[in-house]
Amino acid sequence: MHFGSLVALDDVDLSVRAGEVHALLGGNGAGKSTLLKILNGVYRQTAGDVTVFGATLHGNSPELARAAGVAMNFQEMSLIPSLTAAQNIFLNHEFLHRGLINEAAAVARARELFEQLNVDVDPTILVSDLSPGQRQLTEIAKSISHNARVWILDEPSTALSVTDVDRLFDSIRAHTAQGNAVIYVSHRMDEISEISDRLTILRDGRKVTTAETRSTSVSQMIEHIVGKKARDFSNIMLSRKALGAPVLELDALQDAHKLRPVSLSIREGEVVGLAGLLGSGRSSLIKLIAGVDAKASGQIRVADQPVDFRGPADAMAQGIAHVPESRATQGIIGAHATSDNLTLSILDRISVRGLISKSRVRTLSQKQIDEFDIKVESHRTPVLNLSGGNQQKVVLGKNFGIDPKILLLDEPTAGIDIGAKTEIIDAIHSKAGEGMAVIVASSELSELAVACDRFLILADGVICEDVSRDDIVAENPEDANMVPFIQRVLEEKIQAANRTLKTEGFGEKQ
Amino acid sequence: MIDFALKNWRQNIIYIGFVLIFLLFALTLNDRGFLNPNNLLNIFRQTAMIAIMAIAMTYVLSAGEIDLSVGAVAGLTTVTVALTISVAGPLAGVAVGLLTGITVGVCNGWLTTRIGIPSFLTTLAMMGIAKGVAMWISDTSAVPILSRSFAWFFGGGSLGIVPILFFWILIFGVWGHIQLKHTGFGRRVLATGGGETAARYTGINVKNVKFQVLVVSGTAAAIAGMLYAGRLQSGRFQLGEGDELSVIAAAVLGGTSLFGGKGTVIGTIVGALMIGMINNGLILMGLEYSQQLIARGGIIILAVALSQRQ
Repeated sequence: MHFGSLVALDDVDLSVRAGEVHALLGGNGAGKSTLLKILNGVYRQTAGDVTVFGATLHGNSPELARAAGVAMNFQEMSLIPSLTAAQNIFLNHEFLHRGLINEAAAVARARELFEQLNVDVDPTILVSDLSPGQRQLTEIAKSISHNARVWILDEPSTALSVTDVDRLFDSIRAHTAQGNAVIYVSHRMDEISEISDRLTILRDGRKVTTAETRSTSVSQMIEHIVGKKARDFSNIMLSRKALGAPVLELDALQDAHKLRPVSLSIREGEVVGLAGLLGSGRSSLIKLIAGVDAKASGQIRVADQPVDFRGPADAMAQGIAHVPESRATQGIIGAHATSDNLTLSILDRISVRGLISKSRVRTLSQKQIDEFDIKVESHRTPVLNLSGGNQQKVVLGKNFGIDPKILLLDEPTAGIDIGAKTEIIDAIHSKAGEGMAVIVASSELSELAVACDRFLILADGVICEDVSRDDIVAENPEDANMVPFIQRVLEEKIQAANRTLKTEGFGEKQ
Repeated sequence: MIDFALKNWRQNIIYIGFVLIFLLFALTLNDRGFLNPNNLLNIFRQTAMIAIMAIAMTYVLSAGEIDLSVGAVAGLTTVTVALTISVAGPLAGVAVGLLTGITVGVCNGWLTTRIGIPSFLTTLAMMGIAKGVAMWISDTSAVPILSRSFAWFFGGGSLGIVPILFFWILIFGVWGHIQLKHTGFGRRVLATGGGETAARYTGINVKNVKFQVLVVSGTAAAIAGMLYAGRLQSGRFQLGEGDELSVIAAAVLGGTSLFGGKGTVIGTIVGALMIGMINNGLILMGLEYSQQLIARGGIIILAVALSQRQ
């Protein structure tokens, strides 16, 4: 497989046995998604064959792959927001009755699929009105609706609760028990260890290894993914540091949609993690503080001064930097040069008498490129051509350009390989050490466990718990590994918070 | 029921607006004959061509594209039909008329999906080309149509008191509605406009879908052109001029999104009738043409603003 002069996938053999769950691992740009797209018929390979249960595929198209028994979920990319869940599941293979679509049959079958997955999604609701978790389940239901003999799951669990992940795993086991094969792709090592029988690791477009999951330790997996003896998360430890004065205070702050009144105080040098399921209000809170969304009531105080944001520009003027959730649409301007992206937030500093000075752009952006170790051919390279991890470093660099006092990070390491992840967490620690206050929202609890001194557990727009890392650490039995332990505690707290809300009836939405 | 209507009033604004404007005109213009059955039927006569083009435009917009050439194609068709009838009779005229629309539609579709020119530009250029061809082959003068059967069937005739144009709207409306809401083709159109990448990953050939809607639109424009030709018993390049704006307005008034993924044929037809009714009412009020243009623009902006706001 070639892209221009770049080889995205080079001579990769992958053999998946009937009845097994085969995990596929690799960092960003390792060729995982290229491989999946070839299997699913979206891309065409330049050399080599795909054989499914003995039959070689000729030509590539999603229809052909499906006819051969290959189906895949697409990380929410294959849902049409303006259609209902049932309409999406059976899109392009509708139930027809005398040439007309039989909507009732589709709804009934969709209901069966959701029951089979043992989850609660109403198939008659528009996808745009579903929660992120429900969308992900719809995407999964869509991929099983084809009764595929090879079922590919690409990061299926990012928005799911632990219970839903367990139920998904039950479905996967039921599927393989019938002699079908499942290819499971995830960044989450714990899931890989639990569900897969064998695993294949890709790096730089080549296969590194295929092995039994049982006989591969997590640190071995990481080593293969990164390609060197990497520091895994468990080696990063927070150094104790003195916290400064409160720099950001929220007083009964509330937005117009999701959040219930939030009161909070964050001190200089503190790293606070927002933990909760997708849709719990993590992003809403961040967007409110960043001035992206308008507050409905309450107050924000920065360094003891009440502030009122009419837009992100006001928040930036107060020293609040925001690394948004969606890198591609909110973080970068993909077609523009790396240097133009890096200096977009500091146009006044690169301008001389109203005109942008090319030499200042070059010097300032080169400084950022060096500081964050951004791998880029030249500062004029469009950001689009960078890997996900390097793109995210550009977003970070752009934000550090304004010398913020408060840094807001929303899913800062989404879709980034473990090497770049560690670098970004290191950057957060070093900035916090210099007195910057940081708020991180993430669905990856292991990352929060490493990065933060304090955790806020959110469920359905409410902060249910506010717990410091020290308190969790104090409960740790002496032998346990610290990061997995914190991760497990956070997971339990999130589950507990969602259960409590449900029983109290808070979870009901209009 | 009332609760439902109130909650979804923005979605249903077109129907509410239609009823309100109808009542307003009925009360204020009754003495000028607004409610006279012949006047009401006239609204259908004046609206049919816009409605038929707008039904096709609903498909084009729902697929995330646009067709600005419809008015000019209708005008070109009146000329090709009239010229063919004068030498080879009405059946050949209909065939050439349809061929005109299909040809333009195929060109639009090919340029948009294979060359990759945005449909906005493709069809904008095609608007000029179609008009130029119509002026050239007709020598900028009107071409009379002497076939009475053609004139009856395409626009001039009526069954009892009901004008034939009413049936044209009916047939296109029912066909268009069922295609869009109850067939796989319609679902693929809505999916293509609602999320192109997602549709592609689902195995939908989005280029084919876009090609098809542009051909449908060209064909519908040709049929509208034949209705103009039949009703006025002549072919002129000016017929249909500027219709593209009314057509797009009718679809958008009816709740079709300019950005794709959302559209209903019934809404579009009511949107077209509303524009026709407003035109009719403004004429009965005795406004001058200049005043009509201003009033019509204002009403359309108001209606679209109300229906689009979140």
